Amino acid sequence: MEVKRVSDVVWGIQQEHPMRVPGRIFASEPLMEAVLRDRATVQVANVAHLPGIVEASYAMPDIHWGYGFPIGGVAATTVADGVVSPGGVGFDICCGVRLIASGFTEADFDKQRATIMAELDRRIPRGIGKGAIAPGGLISDILHRGAAAALQHGYGWESDLERCEERGVSKGAKPSLVSDKAVARGKGQIGSLGAGNHFLEIQVVDQIHDDEAAAAYGLAEGMVVVMIHCGSRGLGHQTCTDQLRLMGNAMHRYKIEVPDRQLACVPVQSPEGQQYLGAMAAASNFAWANRHILAHEARHAFARAFGTSPKHTGMHLVFDVAHNLAKIETHEVDGRPIELCIHRKGATRAFEPGHPDLPADLRAVGQPVLVPGSMGTASWVLRGAVGNPAFASAAHGAGRVMSRKKAKAHQTGSEVRVRLEDDGISVRPGSVKLLSEEAPYAYKDVDAVADVCDQANLAAKVARLRPVGVVKG
Amino acid sequence: MPYTVLSHTADAGIEATASTLSELLCELATGMFSLMGSLEPCAQTQAVEVDVASTSRDELVVDVLSELLYHSEVEDLFLCSFEARTSEPHRVHMRAGGVPNSAVKLSGAPIKAVTYHDVAVHETADGWYGRVYLDV
Repeated sequence: MEVKRVSDVVWGIQQEHPMRVPGRIFASEPLMEAVLRDRATVQVANVAHLPGIVEASYAMPDIHWGYGFPIGGVAATTVADGVVSPGGVGFDICCGVRLIASGFTEADFDKQRATIMAELDRRIPRGIGKGAIAPGGLISDILHRGAAAALQHGYGWESDLERCEERGVSKGAKPSLVSDKAVARGKGQIGSLGAGNHFLEIQVVDQIHDDEAAAAYGLAEGMVVVMIHCGSRGLGHQTCTDQLRLMGNAMHRYKIEVPDRQLACVPVQSPEGQQYLGAMAAASNFAWANRHILAHEARHAFARAFGTSPKHTGMHLVFDVAHNLAKIETHEVDGRPIELCIHRKGATRAFEPGHPDLPADLRAVGQPVLVPGSMGTASWVLRGAVGNPAFASAAHGAGRVMSRKKAKAHQTGSEVRVRLEDDGISVRPGSVKLLSEEAPYAYKDVDAVADVCDQANLAAKVARLRPVGVVKG
Repeated sequence: MPYTVLSHTADAGIEATASTLSELLCELATGMFSLMGSLEPCAQTQAVEVDVASTSRDELVVDVLSELLYHSEVEDLFLCSFEARTSEPHRVHMRAGGVPNSAVKLSGAPIKAVTYHDVAVHETADGWYGRVYLDV
């Protein structure tokens, strides 16, 4: 397999039988050096085998070795005669990022830093097993109506829904296809962060690169913001496990062969394909609601610390985006609009300015694209760009560059914590030991990832966010 | 033979060898939970029993480890002791003992799920070999 440089920030993998399309990776030379050190490029080529895939198997600048799909992989398959693959979504269905603005400055935060961190530490369930903000009895309503159900039960604000991809409710959800096992896992986790790379971060808007877009998003330099990264928890993991098992058996009936069993797939239009999309949509409703409820709790933490009500915190939702989903979207291929199943596995939807699915007040500037960094490094707000070359997709994070095993050997969790605190970042870990796996040195340079997104026209820079507080599982 | 942790950029793998398929499944399960924490000795206070029937050996590994993750989460247990009895074709009965999660200090990120990526199970001249990657 040959990887060739096409331009400053684009690399190509030549199509070889039985690949159906070539591979295309967006990366600078330094980022590409890391990509070539693991098996991610092989996975880009493997995805190119999927029946019905069009144009190319794409990979975002934060690409790294995953399972089946690379993390950062984007594949568009035709709805008419292509396939849907749960591996193109992953186990953490609708994992995503929510960004909340505030009426506070860094100086305000510093005055109440200890109280805010203590409140968040107390209020945000995280780590292994059970622990949730909302009662399990909401599960059925949430699987049907996502964030809207959480809103009806007293969590969050009506205006949140407008600033959420899909308005926080996935179309075509079929909760009856979510197994009892998945429901049992989800019931005790409604409003919980989990662990691993998931976090709640307090950040400060450090740089503005696009005044018009920043103003539309409600961001200003020096503003304190809250970023939440998490997904559908055990309910999503179980749903993907269930569906993969079914799909592996069905795939043989459709005489589909893939180079990695984790790429199991069936025709989009088949009963099994429709079943997966219905179950996936229901699981994604859990994720929308989960982030919605965590944001509600963050507002209350800030309100309590500042001795005010949540309504007076100015904590409006900037946006909520998923980065693990398969969605039916219409895009132009060879000059003709065509209905496609867009798989984004560790990639963010990035609709361009003017897109009809965007909220009216954001339509002129394009969709906010949220690119979280790791503890101790910046995060970015980008915006959808006109002429995106990868089916309106952009990066979803910094992307790992070091295995967990190596990261743990590099520094202890306590050492990582001291280093972060020395840099002015308050840390409230569920487990100190876990901090080393997620240390900043385990990730790529998020600024470089944002640069490539900008240069490759995947998404344009709007604002850079600097962390000042982290709540981790 | 004990399990080995395999490096992966974002996730983690476990490989193990054993004299029987039953022992191999126990080694892989021990390795999977060791990624999250350790309890030695495993002073189990509760146990779960799982019966799994699959369509292949590869599927059997993924299915039984997935089942253990499910029970661990729903019953809020950290599993640390495993006994298995396999039968043909591709069936296993496993008893897994553990302690409440609250009794364990995590040393690694929780495992989300068991993947089919690069999964392998086969007989060797000395017994059995298995490999599985886990989503972290």
